[in-house]
Amino acid sequence: MLISVRDLVKRYGNLVALDHFSLDVREGEILGLLGPNGSGKTTAINCILSLLRYDKGTVEIFGRPMAPDAYESKRDIGVVPQNVAVFNELTVEENIDYFCGMYVEDRAVRRGLVQEAVEFVGLADFRRFYPRKLSGGMLRRLNIACGIAHKPKLIIMDEPTVGVDPQSRNSVLEGIRKLNEHGATVVYTSHYMEEVEQLCTRIVIMDKGRTLATGTKDELKAMINRGETITVEIYALQDEDVERIRQLPNVASVEYDDNRLTVRYANGQHNLLTLLDFLKSRDLSFEKVYSERPTLNDVFLEITGRQLRD
Amino acid sequence: MAMHVFSYRLKCLLRDKESVFWTLAFPVLLATMFHFAFGHLMTGEPAFEPIPVAVADGAAYQSNFALRQMLEAVSADGENQLLRLTVVDREQAERMLAAGEVVGVILPGEGSDTGDATSVSLMVTQSGIRQSILKALLDEYLHSYATVSSIAAANPVALFGLIGELGARESYTQQVSFSDVLPDSSIGYFYALLAMTCLYGGFWGMRNTNDLQADQSPQGARRSLAPTHKMAVVLCDWAAALVVSFGEVLAVLAYLAFALKVQFGSQVGYVLLTCAAGCLAGVSVGTLIGTMVRKSEGLKVGILVGVNNLMCFFAGLMFVKMKDIIARNAPVLSYINPAALISDAFYSLYVFDNHRRFFTNIAILCVLSAAMCLVSFMQLRGERYASL
Repeated sequence: MLISVRDLVKRYGNLVALDHFSLDVREGEILGLLGPNGSGKTTAINCILSLLRYDKGTVEIFGRPMAPDAYESKRDIGVVPQNVAVFNELTVEENIDYFCGMYVEDRAVRRGLVQEAVEFVGLADFRRFYPRKLSGGMLRRLNIACGIAHKPKLIIMDEPTVGVDPQSRNSVLEGIRKLNEHGATVVYTSHYMEEVEQLCTRIVIMDKGRTLATGTKDELKAMINRGETITVEIYALQDEDVERIRQLPNVASVEYDDNRLTVRYANGQHNLLTLLDFLKSRDLSFEKVYSERPTLNDVFLEITGRQLRD
Repeated sequence: MAMHVFSYRLKCLLRDKESVFWTLAFPVLLATMFHFAFGHLMTGEPAFEPIPVAVADGAAYQSNFALRQMLEAVSADGENQLLRLTVVDREQAERMLAAGEVVGVILPGEGSDTGDATSVSLMVTQSGIRQSILKALLDEYLHSYATVSSIAAANPVALFGLIGELGARESYTQQVSFSDVLPDSSIGYFYALLAMTCLYGGFWGMRNTNDLQADQSPQGARRSLAPTHKMAVVLCDWAAALVVSFGEVLAVLAYLAFALKVQFGSQVGYVLLTCAAGCLAGVSVGTLIGTMVRKSEGLKVGILVGVNNLMCFFAGLMFVKMKDIIARNAPVLSYINPAALISDAFYSLYVFDNHRRFFTNIAILCVLSAAMCLVSFMQLRGERYASL
């Protein structure tokens, strides 16, 4: 295990921010830490990195206890914090060089690493720009470059795409995938389930400082008793037809409201085909049809009774 | 690694325009204002203009040889010209007085109930310093004239011995200087300004602490995660702050010496030493406040400015007598107040040739700074934070 966290407890007065939180991170994976705002993701990361004092528990990184003076371990860790942490008085290139220089002493080696990082985040044309002149997306990319320029074995990214435009976000996610392909293990926290689904090989869902579920996205979705949801825009559907749809195989529930038919399935295959055959046999005309697979939000909803975005 | 952190810290501090304004441009602006405000004090040349005065011409004036001679002497062109004299008839003189062209009108032969031709009076339309000077001049003339007349009547022989002594003034106190430097009443203001500039080094110390602590800034958090020893980063930052602060004080000093022509005498080496010790104290105060106060940057800056002003106030930089009041009633405060120590070091340089008091001040400043740094550095060591 690259990271091993056991029974971490962190309290702020009466508020329990981490409640016996445990976590294992395996070498080579992209682990997603998914949870709503205030679920304890950032607190967990800060405790793991020994920035925050905690009340109970143990943290090991690279098999060694993590501490503020664990400089050997720190050398191989790269962190991309939630807030942009760069100096406004230094240019893009200087910022990357400064933070990289705290890990890599050799100036010639560092020059190459900085060059690589600048190109990796797509800021080659802005290397002499000061952060104030950069857009929000560019700032985020600079923030990432400062965290990964020294080529760490373990990269911890805390909501790196908050406030980033969709184009920059895709570029950031693509970059993280590349880093992983080059051998880096990534811990990625986010409250955007789409990002986590798209990027992570394993996901930990957490809420109220506790781990709720762990697994691949398929394993997590298999945990809940819900298959796909089919929505059909259809007019003048009779109650009798609704009742007949409810009798179709695998159907868990049916709703018809405002000319919109929503059919939720427990599981099973060919559900869309069966439904369309039924509508054709009843000579019912319809307009649009949507089919949605269950999401991590459904998993979260099933476990907590709340939406992930609450 | 240390040079890397140090050099980038220098860049960060020197490019922080707002702080550079307050720590460098502001003292330079103040110095320029002082220069214009105290210009006469510095040059020792009060801008005295001869007083315009009219004399009513007539038989009394023409017959009063002594008065004519005295007035011609004090209105003669040159460095010592006191009056700008106009001799006109009385009506014309009164018109000139009414028009404000002259400050007063001297009326020979008037002012005596007995009709004494040697008497003289002064006509003015308002009171003021120039009118007072005129009156004092005429009083002095009348007094001397009466003295000479009395001696001439009583003992004409003695007149030859006394006449030379009439204008002499005897001083019964003696001025003793502790140094061979000519006193300049304005230099104290510039020393105070230098002391203030030294203490403004606190802004750099405070900026450092913000950028070092994970619970104060994201930059602090990122730097706390680096594998560089925390104390090494702390010391490099601190050294950079000291260099910037001292550089700024040197720049202000150079501006005072070369642009404003302020004379620092032969003590420049000691002035530099005081500036260095002052910067050390200033940066240390800022570091201590930035470390101990776990609040927003704005509040910390407010506290630093307040503390600096309070220290300067107790040191007498705003109200000169305060220094003596503190020295009499709370002497310990004088020894733990960096502003008082800096200003007293400058003062002792200014007043004494002996450097014992100067070095005592410098030594206490260094000990105080070391204590403040020790407390701050202990706090800044690589520790976990209670909250971020």
